Amino acid sequence: MKNLSKKTLAIVILSLIVIIAGIIMIAVKGFNFDLREQKGQKVELYLKTEFKDSDIKNITNEVFGEQPVMIQKVEVFEDTVAITTTSISDEQKNNLVTKINEKYGTELKAEDTEILDVAHTRGRDIIKPYILPFTIATLIILVYMAFRYHKLGTIKTVLKTIGLCAYTQIMLFSIMAITRIPVGRLTIPLVILIYLLTLVGITTRFEKNLALKKEEIKKKA
Amino acid sequence: MKKVKILTIILLVVLITMIGAFGIYFKVQNRMENKLKEYAYSMDLNGGRNVRLKVNTESKDVIKDSEGKEVETDEELTDEQLAEKGYTKESVPNNSQDVLNLDNYEKAKKIIEDRLKEQNVEEYEVALNDETGEITVQIPENSNTDSIVSNLNTVGKFEILDSETKEVLMDNNDIKKAQVMYGAGSSTSSGTSVYLSIQFTKDGAKKLEEISTNYAKKDDTDTNTTSGENTTTENTTNTQTEENTTNSTENTTNTTEDTSATSEEETTQKQITMKIDDEEIMTTSFDEPIRTGTLQLTVGSNSTDADTLQGYMKSASSMASILTCGNMPVQYDIEQNEYILSDIGTEFLQYIKLAIIILMAIGIIILVIKYRANGLLAGLTMAGFAGLYTILLKYTNVTLSLQGIAGIIISLVLNYILINMLLSKIKNGEGKTEKEKVNKAITDSYKEFFIKIIPICIIAVVFALINWMPISSFGMTMFWGIVLIAVYDFVITSSILKIKADK
Repeated sequence: MKNLSKKTLAIVILSLIVIIAGIIMIAVKGFNFDLREQKGQKVELYLKTEFKDSDIKNITNEVFGEQPVMIQKVEVFEDTVAITTTSISDEQKNNLVTKINEKYGTELKAEDTEILDVAHTRGRDIIKPYILPFTIATLIILVYMAFRYHKLGTIKTVLKTIGLCAYTQIMLFSIMAITRIPVGRLTIPLVILIYLLTLVGITTRFEKNLALKKEEIKKKA
Repeated sequence: MKKVKILTIILLVVLITMIGAFGIYFKVQNRMENKLKEYAYSMDLNGGRNVRLKVNTESKDVIKDSEGKEVETDEELTDEQLAEKGYTKESVPNNSQDVLNLDNYEKAKKIIEDRLKEQNVEEYEVALNDETGEITVQIPENSNTDSIVSNLNTVGKFEILDSETKEVLMDNNDIKKAQVMYGAGSSTSSGTSVYLSIQFTKDGAKKLEEISTNYAKKDDTDTNTTSGENTTTENTTNTQTEENTTNSTENTTNTTEDTSATSEEETTQKQITMKIDDEEIMTTSFDEPIRTGTLQLTVGSNSTDADTLQGYMKSASSMASILTCGNMPVQYDIEQNEYILSDIGTEFLQYIKLAIIILMAIGIIILVIKYRANGLLAGLTMAGFAGLYTILLKYTNVTLSLQGIAGIIISLVLNYILINMLLSKIKNGEGKTEKEKVNKAITDSYKEFFIKIIPICIIAVVFALINWMPISSFGMTMFWGIVLIAVYDFVITSSILKIKADK
């Protein structure tokens, strides 16, 4: 601890706080999954005509209020709308059908409109396809790092790379858990982005250290 | 001359940028048509086929004899006839209460995922409702989708039975894997045959050897059978199954197609019946014991027509995936099968495009402020890079996903970093002449830049080779981005800066 500068110490303490808070949040509330990935309910309404998402959005805002809503067009003619949200009560369904009839001149009946349950996608199912590519890429990168920066100490280089990559990802997920950023389609691109940035950062740092080391060796010689 | 050269390159760059951004239009039947290929989009941007599989709640009537044994009969028996024979009719649910549990639902989900993998579906989402057992599958919409969907709820029960006693001799547990093969047809006809090769486990192979010995053909000449208009000769059978799959065994079995077929030794000849999902595929006996542990069934007939063969291949590959992945513990019905577009519409992509253009414009302005004329020239080439990158991605069949878009953005940022590095080294570099300074800056920048992004190159190559659309999309966009950065900046950006420095 004596060797740590004040700046490093502050970063370590802050990181620990964020990580612990993230772990608590995940244990208590879990991640905030995107509507697409969570359990919900859906209705499909045949409008007989093409429609604008924004018009449907206005209606769903009135009917579902603050509830997150996903609007999708169905089939090639795009004249059927699928509305997915966390839950749909009978009252909301009646209201929705009435407003859709008013807007599109349809004669839909609430009793004919079925509320379908939407199963949730498990976090592990989202991650599963990415485990193998990430593992293979990381292993190759570690081998490369070990060779390229062996003058900086092979084990030290490998451990630093693993540690920093893990650290940034843990931080990312902790922040996502604390800030309740939804886990969904944008999560993986974000994970990849952070991973790449970390690797570029590590390489830049190692290159600098390698240049210094080479200079040092040159001077000694 | 120097100005002409620079102007020519700038015009070329502007042309590429325009083509990349707006396309190339030609008059086709009194209307202008963009001849530039469109992007291919993945499921998260294009939507996909949504299939809801509901647990089957129907029952089937089963006729049992006085001993409680199941009786198979083709004719419809009236209640009187049943009573006369001492049979009873029972209504048995397709899914008994014992199988309707979370464990089996999970198994069914896993089998569906395995089948999709086996059929090389590059992107899918499978969600399970733990309470009802309902499974929702989302797969990309393409020419194979219907055939894949038709196999989702196939139970995949495989059985080899004694054709008379109905004793089950082999089942799914004996199968190791099934695969599709093709090769030259029989010696008497030209064309290609498609085979479904079923490889058995160690125990299964032993069983198969035993069965093929016990159920061996008694006499070649006697077992040639005649059935109506068809004459089934050695080693062939034509039993139609769903999806036009026609099966026969190759070199190892001799088959009778019609139960009404007559044969001298029919009474003594022991035969096996192969069933998939309780549907009879074939009834056959064996020429010789099979010791390889592999059974080859021809799918369809010999053909030289590519489309026909393609059809057979599809059928065989569906069957192979079903047999390889095992049978579903729960019977499902397809409740809903529809194409649902993504909630991320084209509007979203337009926003992304606009955001990239704005950020690039800001980037170019920064370059101009920092490096003046060199910044302006390099900035223009950056726009050309974006245009060429767009065209390249369209013609290298890269499927765009959200990850792919992230790859494009990262590549554009990397290109900006290299150009910035290059201009900075030219500005602050040392050299006797301006040209020398530029040359040194180019060499140093390339070296420094590519050493730093080696890990990114590794990721791009590994991800590009993965058979999972979202990740391969990222890998492919990154791979082509990095290749283009290396080539384009060397050929265009460096050249224009060299020409400018040349006095």
